[in-house]
Amino acid sequence: MLPADEDLVVKYVEHGDERAFRTLVDRHQERVFGYLLGMVRDREVANDLFQETFLKVISALSRERGSYTVQGKFLGWVLRIARNAALDHLRARKKWKDVSSSQTDDEVDYWEKLPDESPLVDVLLHRSEQSEVLRDSIDALPEEQREVLLLRHEADMTFREIADLTGCSINTALGRMRYALINLRRQLMAQHSKDLTEVAE
Amino acid sequence: MKNEKRDILLHLYGEADSESDLRTLLLKSDLKDEHTALSETKFRLDLRKRDRPDIRVIETIMTAARTGDTGSGVSSRIDRGPLQRISRLKKMFIPAVGIAAIILFSVGVGLYSVQLKSNSASLLSASGQNDLVPPESLYRFVPSRQGTISPSGSVNNELSWDDQSTLSTLNGRINTMKPSGLLDWGESAVPLEMLPGSNPRGFQTAGSIRK
Repeated sequence: MLPADEDLVVKYVEHGDERAFRTLVDRHQERVFGYLLGMVRDREVANDLFQETFLKVISALSRERGSYTVQGKFLGWVLRIARNAALDHLRARKKWKDVSSSQTDDEVDYWEKLPDESPLVDVLLHRSEQSEVLRDSIDALPEEQREVLLLRHEADMTFREIADLTGCSINTALGRMRYALINLRRQLMAQHSKDLTEVAE
Repeated sequence: MKNEKRDILLHLYGEADSESDLRTLLLKSDLKDEHTALSETKFRLDLRKRDRPDIRVIETIMTAARTGDTGSGVSSRIDRGPLQRISRLKKMFIPAVGIAAIILFSVGVGLYSVQLKSNSASLLSASGQNDLVPPESLYRFVPSRQGTISPSGSVNNELSWDDQSTLSTLNGRINTMKPSGLLDWGESAVPLEMLPGSNPRGFQTAGSIRK
């Protein structure tokens, strides 16, 4: 049975067991890096932010032994640091637009109020490989939808955890996820139709 | 409606509570279509190849974990553009300028007050009044039409708005007590009758004066 994250953290903090920390990094690197890469859409910047995130983790663990246990789950804590780093980067580049919680917490008519981003269908690029098409389609999503999708599919967070991390209600997180999937499907279908047309010609 | 679509999504990701029955939900055609569409897209996402960071990044992190030195790794970060540098400069520059301005203002006020005091002292010493006039009298209101005392001790007629009787009396006494120039320190004594203002007849008893 694999040791829990908490046990590995204790081994590293209390006994200086760097192998325990290496196990933590190996275990969560894809989740954290996948989220960062999806957010910033630049591999070099994602590498940079990934490094910054884990250096902050090391610094916090060595400086304050109690800070981790107060924060809760290790991955959630690391993703919070990673998210702050990503948002800091995006804001610096003026590519991020915050969504006020007051606009999205109205759960009564939330499903009806959410805008439909159907124009995104027309943004699909001319790519043949499905993975590239999928990546481009994710990149073309609105920031809020893309972040929830990345946190769910890359970081494997639950919708409750996503809501806590992003500071929105669980209904808002679910609504963003639903529209992300709907928009992705539209784009993929549009690309599929385009490919069929090209083959026929 | 909205709760049913929410439940569809929660079932799709294995987060639905036990009370919600997926089979019941899928009996409705619109919900079934929604579930099909969302599950197809989710399937595509689940098949995605996962990305990993570069090995050099992992090595840097592990070196920091071993040594505890996290400073060099942070400083080697890729440049995040000028905007953040400007904001950092602003954060440091604005308080520094504020503090410097406060210090300069305090020093300026101090120098000005010192200069004001020295100017007042030099004016007083030049007029020879610094031993007679208390410092607070410098800041007292002085009417522009105040009367002036002539060198001989007489009061001008312009003193009409103020009661100058006390001043005139005091000036008269000073004038009376002014040394004549003949009587200096260390000279031989002279009879009181010779002093200016004395009765030439010499000392008289009190009883004779009353008469």
